[in-house]
Amino acid sequence: MYQAESSGTLLRTKAATARGRGMRVSRNVVVLGTVSLLTDVASEMVAAILPIYVVFALGGSPLQYGMVDGIYQGATAILRLVGGFIADRRRRYKEVATVGYGISAACKAALVAFGSSISALGAIVLVDRAGKGVRTAPRDALIALSSAPQALATAFGVHRAMDTAGAMLGPLVAFGLLLLAPARFDAIFVVSTCFAVLGLAVLVLLADGRPDRDRPQTASERATPQERPSLREAAALLGRRRFRTLTLAAGVLAATTISDGFVYLGLQRTLDVPLTAFPLLFVGSAAAFMVLAVPAGRLADRVGRQRVFLGGHLLLVVVYLTLLLPAGGLPVLVLALVALGGYYAATDGVLQAIASSFLPDRLRASGLALLVTATSIAKLASSVVFGLLWTVTSLDAATMAFGAALLVALAFAIWTLRRTPELAT
Amino acid sequence: MNGRTLALIAVTVVCVGGAASYVAIAALTADGTTSDARPKVTVSSESELASDARLLVRAVDHGNPRLNGRLFETELEAGSEPRQVGDMACERVHLNARGDGICLAADARGLGYHAVTFGPGYRRGDRFAIPGVPDRARVSADGRYAAFTAFLSGHTYSAAGAIQFTVHTGIVDMRSGEQVLELDELEITRDGEPFDRDDVNLWGVTFAGGDRFFATLGVAGRHYLLDGDFGERSARIVREGVECPSLSPDGRRIAYKRRIGDQNRWRLHVLDLRTGEDVALAERRSIDDQPEWLDDRYVVYSNDRSVFAVEADGSGRPERVMARASSPVAVR
Repeated sequence: MYQAESSGTLLRTKAATARGRGMRVSRNVVVLGTVSLLTDVASEMVAAILPIYVVFALGGSPLQYGMVDGIYQGATAILRLVGGFIADRRRRYKEVATVGYGISAACKAALVAFGSSISALGAIVLVDRAGKGVRTAPRDALIALSSAPQALATAFGVHRAMDTAGAMLGPLVAFGLLLLAPARFDAIFVVSTCFAVLGLAVLVLLADGRPDRDRPQTASERATPQERPSLREAAALLGRRRFRTLTLAAGVLAATTISDGFVYLGLQRTLDVPLTAFPLLFVGSAAAFMVLAVPAGRLADRVGRQRVFLGGHLLLVVVYLTLLLPAGGLPVLVLALVALGGYYAATDGVLQAIASSFLPDRLRASGLALLVTATSIAKLASSVVFGLLWTVTSLDAATMAFGAALLVALAFAIWTLRRTPELAT
Repeated sequence: MNGRTLALIAVTVVCVGGAASYVAIAALTADGTTSDARPKVTVSSESELASDARLLVRAVDHGNPRLNGRLFETELEAGSEPRQVGDMACERVHLNARGDGICLAADARGLGYHAVTFGPGYRRGDRFAIPGVPDRARVSADGRYAAFTAFLSGHTYSAAGAIQFTVHTGIVDMRSGEQVLELDELEITRDGEPFDRDDVNLWGVTFAGGDRFFATLGVAGRHYLLDGDFGERSARIVREGVECPSLSPDGRRIAYKRRIGDQNRWRLHVLDLRTGEDVALAERRSIDDQPEWLDDRYVVYSNDRSVFAVEADGSGRPERVMARASSPVAVR
C-alpha cells in the first residue's frame, strides 16, 4: 500500500511539474487506458462475431440483431448521467467506474452461460451497454483528475489511442480464435470474459481513485467545504455561461455530423469500394484515429484545445467533399479515412479536455456526462435527419445540405466561443 | 513486489491459463465430435401430406461441424431415413427438377462466404465468393440462372451509429459462374414512372420462366413485390407488403412473408396472381424464410432449426415434418 501510494505521488509530481516538451501523462492515465484497451478487446471481439453468431448458431435474422443494437441507445444516455452524478456526489469515481466495468465483465460471463438463447442475448447486450453508460463519465473525470492542467488533451489523447487500439485488436482476436477452433463461439465468449476480467482487475488493483487527494483546494472548494453536490447544482451547470456555451457549440456541430455508418455507405457507393472490403473502411479510420489521437492531444495542449477542436471539424468538411467527388479511386478513399480518423482524434478526447479544464472538481463527472449526452443526442438526431434526407432526395443532396449546415455550425461555434472570454484561448 | 501486483499476476495467470486451456480443448475437439444428430423425419403417420413428396434439406447441428450444413434427401413419410447426398456443407441450398442447384456456404475457416453451383448427382461446378452472410438462394427451372442474396453488415462505431444492414442480390449464369446482374442495377418503375432511389434494398428472387423473375424491393421501411426481367434489366413495382416471394409450381400463386407491425415479425401468406386474392396461412408464429412449394397444395419453410409444412389455402394447421434441418427444397 505505502509503496504504491508513494510511487504514485512521485509520478504525479513529475506530471504536475512537466512543462513544454515533457508533457508526460500520469501513470493513472496509462492504467485507465489499459483498462479500456482490455475491455474494448473483450467487447469488440464479441461485437465482430455477433451477426454471424445470431444468424448461423441461433438461426435468427440479421435484422433481429440490428434492432437489438439500435433501440437501446437512449437507455445508456440516462445511465451515463446517473453514473456521472453519483460519482460526483459520493466522490467515488473509481468505485462507480468499477461498477460499470464489472457489469460489462459479468455480461461476458453471462454470454458463456446463456448466450445460446436469442432473447437472453438481447438482454445481455442491453445490460452490457448499460455498464458502458455508467462507467464513461467517472472514468473521464478520473483521467482529468490524474492529469496536470496543461497536459489534459494529451492525457485524453493517450487514453483514446489505447481505447481504439483495443477496438481494433478485438475483431482480430475473434477471427484468430475462429481459425483455431472453427464455429466454437463459446471459446470466443470465454476469451472475451478473460479480457474483461483482466481489465477489471487492472482497474481495481492498479488505478488510483483519489489522485487529487493532496492537491491544494481552490477558493471555491474552500467556500463550500465537504458539501455533496445536489442534483439541482448538477443541472445548474447548464446555466453556467462557459459550460452552456461549450455544450451548445459542441451540440450544434454534432447535429451537422454525418454518422460513420452513412459515411462508409456513401464512400462505398461513390468510390465503388468492393463490398467484401467494406469492413476495412472501419479499420482504416480507426487506425488513423489511433495514430493521430496523441499528436492531436499534444497539439491541442500547445496551440489551444479549442483551435484543434474546431480545426478537426474542417477535416470533417474534407470527408464530406470526398463523398461529393464524382470519381476518385484509392487516393481519395485513403484521404477520406485519414480525415475521418483525424476528425475523431482532434475532437473526441479534446472536447472532454476543454470541459475538464474549467468544470469544478466536485461536478466534473456530471458535467462530462451532460456534455457527452448532449452531443450523442445531437448525433442521433443527425442520423435520423440524414437518413430521411437521403431517402427523400439523394446522397449528394443530403451531403451538400449537411456540408452547408456544418459550415454554418462551425461559424456559429467560432463566434460563440470567442464571445466567451474564458474560452477564447 | 507489493500485494496488488501479486494479486494482478495471480488473476492474469488464472484467467489466461483458463481461457487458453478452454480454447485448446475447443480446437482439439472441433473435428472429433461424435454426436450423430442427423436430420430426422418427424411427420406423423396420420398426416395427409402427399406421400410421394421428397425433400432436400441441410443438417443443423452447430456442435458438430462435420455434420452441420451437410445435405440430406428424404421421403416425407413417417419412418423414412434421410440419406446424405453430395459432399457439400451449405448454409442455404436450392435446386430445380433437373438437379441443377446452388449452395451458399461459409468458407472452411469462417472468414468469408462463397457459392458453389452443382449439377445432377450433386456434382460440384463453379465456386465464387459472395460478399456477405448467405440469406436466400434460387435456381431457375431451366438451370441457366441462379440467384443469391447475402447480408452485408455495417459497423457500430460512432455513438449514434446503429448497425445498418444492406443486402446484395445477384443473378448468376450457371454455365460461366459469372454474375449477369446485381439487382441494384435494375431500372425500376412504379405506375409507369421511373422509381429512382439511392437507398433501396433488393432481395429474395424467385424465377418465373425465361428472363422473368419476382423479388422484394425494400425502401424506407416499406416492402414491394417486383416483377422484373433480367434480360432487359428492368422491373416494375406491382404490390406492397410482399417479402421473399416464391412462385408456385403452377405459376399462378406467390407464397411470401408479410410484415406485421413495425417489428421484425412476419406471417406467411399466399397471393393469387390472377384474382389478387390474398390469404394468411395457418402458421401463426413469425416466420423469417423464403417459403418453398412442396407441391401445389403445401408450402414448406424452416423455423427454429426445424422444417414445417402448412396448407397453401389457409386451412389446416402447420406440421413439423423434420427436426434438425433447414433450407427445405422439394425434390421433384
